[in-house]
Amino acid sequence: MYSSKVKRLTGNVMVYLVLSLIFVVTVFPVFYTFMGSFKSNMELLTGNLIIPSQFVLDNYKQAWELANFEQYTFNSVFLSFFIVVGTIFTSTIAGYVFERGHFKFKNIVFAMVISSMFVSLGSLTLYPQLMIAKFFGINTSLWGVIIIRVFGMNVTNLFVTRAYIRTVSTEIDESAKVDGCTFFRIYRSIIFPLLKPLIATLAILEFRFAWNDYLMPMVFTLSNPKRMPLVVGIMNLKGSGAAASSWNLMLAGTSIAIIPMVLVYAIFNRYFIQGLTAGAVKG
Amino acid sequence: MKMTKKELGSSSMNVKWIKKDSVQAVIMLAPMLIGFLLFTYVPIAYILRYALYSSNGFKETFIGLDNFVRVFARDAAYWNSLLNTIILTFGKLAVEIPLALLLAVLLNRGQKGTGFFRITLFLPTVISAAIAGLIFSLMFASFNGTVNGLLQDIGLIERPISWFSKKGTGLFVIGFASVWNNFGINMIFFLMALQSVPKELYECASIDGVNTVQKFFKITLPMIGPTFQVVLLNAIVGSLKMADLILSTTNGQPGGKTEVVMTYVFKYFFGYDGRSIEIGYASSMALVTAVVLAMISLIYMKSSKKLGQSF
Repeated sequence: MYSSKVKRLTGNVMVYLVLSLIFVVTVFPVFYTFMGSFKSNMELLTGNLIIPSQFVLDNYKQAWELANFEQYTFNSVFLSFFIVVGTIFTSTIAGYVFERGHFKFKNIVFAMVISSMFVSLGSLTLYPQLMIAKFFGINTSLWGVIIIRVFGMNVTNLFVTRAYIRTVSTEIDESAKVDGCTFFRIYRSIIFPLLKPLIATLAILEFRFAWNDYLMPMVFTLSNPKRMPLVVGIMNLKGSGAAASSWNLMLAGTSIAIIPMVLVYAIFNRYFIQGLTAGAVKG
Repeated sequence: MKMTKKELGSSSMNVKWIKKDSVQAVIMLAPMLIGFLLFTYVPIAYILRYALYSSNGFKETFIGLDNFVRVFARDAAYWNSLLNTIILTFGKLAVEIPLALLLAVLLNRGQKGTGFFRITLFLPTVISAAIAGLIFSLMFASFNGTVNGLLQDIGLIERPISWFSKKGTGLFVIGFASVWNNFGINMIFFLMALQSVPKELYECASIDGVNTVQKFFKITLPMIGPTFQVVLLNAIVGSLKMADLILSTTNGQPGGKTEVVMTYVFKYFFGYDGRSIEIGYASSMALVTAVVLAMISLIYMKSSKKLGQSF
């Protein structure tokens, strides 16, 4: 009895040791970036200490004022806001129509949408997408990215919303129908308000996606650097050659890019985990 | 008589309503459907067409299958990038998947404080792949990177290692960054699967004197087989499409030796990084890539069938 207790205790201690080790490796890069962003450039180039010997706020000031990060941050907020709000509507509408709507060829259309999942071209369709955007004159601003993301039908979101709407009893919308509600009205007044928990998840997923996206916003702002979102701006700074002398700006910029994300995650982590898993399991 | 008339009336009313509703449904879906066709199917058609052309964005000439001849016969760098992609994918998943599974098993023991670890270990997953690459390229920088500094302080190395000047070490850092960025999501999937395994199975096994390791291989693994199959498929497909991380770490350097297939083709499309724009050639490479990636997924699905059925 006693020995099994000891065995259990040592087992638990071992588990904590392994978890703590992985924890250190996991958190270190973020911690390092954050601490590095307070170091002077001199210290960044010479010192190996992780904690700065003197906390300097100047990096943030420089990044914000001289390296355009104020503009980049605004662009990121702008891009994420419109993608999140737009996607909430288009995803829930698409899920609702495919789940509750009846029209000719519905199943064929649905199969067409789903089958696009199996063509894995990834970022290789970016160029044609840019050319299509050019045709409509939206290739040099973030509106192109927003329109593609909002109206481009996200299959994962579609699966998640459709599955969620399926759990809403059809009795509610049938009785609304008897009272003379139209199909759209049922969505607006009954289904949409019932989707609140799902909308929180969708919003967080899309925010993560929009805030972190790199390649698509990059190609849409190639000729218009003023509209670059944060991730693109930082990468641009890295590529611009003056790498060694702009470490302080890069670290401050990186912190500016990840702090909002980390904060949102710290507050809504449950939705993040739920959303990311729901999408992949059902998709 | 009266009844039938009423019924008739209401049923024709119903038909009218349904028709109106389906018109509304189509109108509601139309913007997304147009967007979908425009931004998913038209690009595929575009690539199919341009694969047969030579084009720099301004001038185009029909050249038949020449692009494909070039891919298969003359472009060793393309196949090298494809090989890198495969090495990187399977190399990093060989670490990432067991790590994620191990952590899920440890977190599933229900010890105190596991909630804290579950949330913090998931943290890198919310960070952009491009940013993750940038952070790792700073940490592994040869002269003032903190990793070299730490290794020197411990005394493991004497002189700083130039991580990004050799293919092997370059791919290692990319793989490391990718594992860091992605293990959290797989860990959560495994954790969810583990939580659905009935506790009674373990209790029965304990009574029969089965030890922990045996329990893991005889009960846990078969029970989470189907999840394992899907998680691994997602991880493979996701890793094969890796692009941001490479652009933000090595960017293919030195001399294109660490290029992956997505970045290689991307650079031909956009004339990025000093290359000239070759849309036709890039399109044909995109097609070849899509076919190869589809084949890898198919082979995986076929060979992992047993995994999915094991429970």
